[in-house]
Amino acid sequence: MFVKGAIFLINQSKKIHWTLRDVIFLAIIAIFFGIIYQLWSYAYYALAATPLKPYANDLTLGVWIMAGPLAGVLLQKAGASVIGEMLAAAVEMLLFSSWGASTLLSGFIQGIGNELGFACTGYRNWDKLGLICSALGSTIITFIWDLFQSGYRQYSFSLLIGLFVIRLISIGFFAGVLVYWIKKMVFKTGLIR
Amino acid sequence: MAKKRGLNASVMTVIMLGIGLPLSFSLSVTLNLVICSLALIYLIYCRVSLKTTLLVLLAALPLAFGSWWSFLIFGTGDQWHSAWIYGSRVYAYLLLGMTVTMNCRVKDLLLSLHLHLKLPATFAYGLLAAFNLLARIRQQYHQIQASAMMRGQVYHLWQPGLYLRIIIIALNWSGDLAAAMTSQGFTEGAKRTISFVDPLPRWQWLLTAGLIISYCWAAFVIQPW
Repeated sequence: MFVKGAIFLINQSKKIHWTLRDVIFLAIIAIFFGIIYQLWSYAYYALAATPLKPYANDLTLGVWIMAGPLAGVLLQKAGASVIGEMLAAAVEMLLFSSWGASTLLSGFIQGIGNELGFACTGYRNWDKLGLICSALGSTIITFIWDLFQSGYRQYSFSLLIGLFVIRLISIGFFAGVLVYWIKKMVFKTGLIR
Repeated sequence: MAKKRGLNASVMTVIMLGIGLPLSFSLSVTLNLVICSLALIYLIYCRVSLKTTLLVLLAALPLAFGSWWSFLIFGTGDQWHSAWIYGSRVYAYLLLGMTVTMNCRVKDLLLSLHLHLKLPATFAYGLLAAFNLLARIRQQYHQIQASAMMRGQVYHLWQPGLYLRIIIIALNWSGDLAAAMTSQGFTEGAKRTISFVDPLPRWQWLLTAGLIISYCWAAFVIQPW
């Protein structure tokens, strides 16, 4: 019965429109992510209260970005990444965040970065290639955003190079490799095809 | 003291995003402080809990301090100006967000967005359904960790097993909830009758436009320190 229900989700998901079940599914995952972000923010806070804050941002960014590509590979449709990331950001802002309005704006930018990556493959590849593009897309787009929003353009060039590499590694692992492992595990269970 | 009714939730969301976006590009300490003060006055006017407000502001202090300090150490050009811009920006964002999150209940916000800003019913009610599960989702997260520990495992945030459990639960619960809502008469895309009353006088939209335009004008034309 349960397996039937899960496969039903995917059959529904292939359609362009968002079903009630898709929305609730992503929102529940977003709330779990909200709880995970809350735990993760303790590690972030320890570093962020020092001048090493830019390193803290870039080192931990991957976790904050995961919700987007995860929604993308699970629902496999255009818009899933950006809506998934926005939902996670909205939940975070409403329940847990100490970033206020910037949570929602950053969530949108991060989702757009992931979405652009999947769009580059014509929304046909939700596997390794799609995730590599999505990780690259979100690294570049969020970095450009931080040049303005977090004032990165005031930092020296050598620091920026270092921060970009750290960000790429963080997003590459959490929003790339880890999402790929999760996807493989979920698809192995047969609940999603 | 009873809370006072503030501006409409949809209007507050538009103000928050309409000022939040240009705020990311503005380079003015003065304007950041103006936003902080106006937001604080609004929160006090709405009689939100002072204790919670203070706690949230205190919790953000390390972030603001970290931002401020990092520009003194790594900044180029006018380091002091940068330090104060980005330090105060943390609070400007936070207080802007608080004008929405501390004043509106999630249900009122979602229904208001549905009524006035065309948020589809599927999203408004779907999100509401999931938010109502918040306490159970928290409990479930602890159960996942506890059941793993009973098998001698600890799930870390970088292990896919933790997320697999979360996804299976989300699949299960979302199916049950969607089925329950459908059986209670929710039809996707169908026209709905709404008993929720959410007045939005025209002057609030004019105020929104006025605030956003004056902020952009001040930030990008006048450009105070």
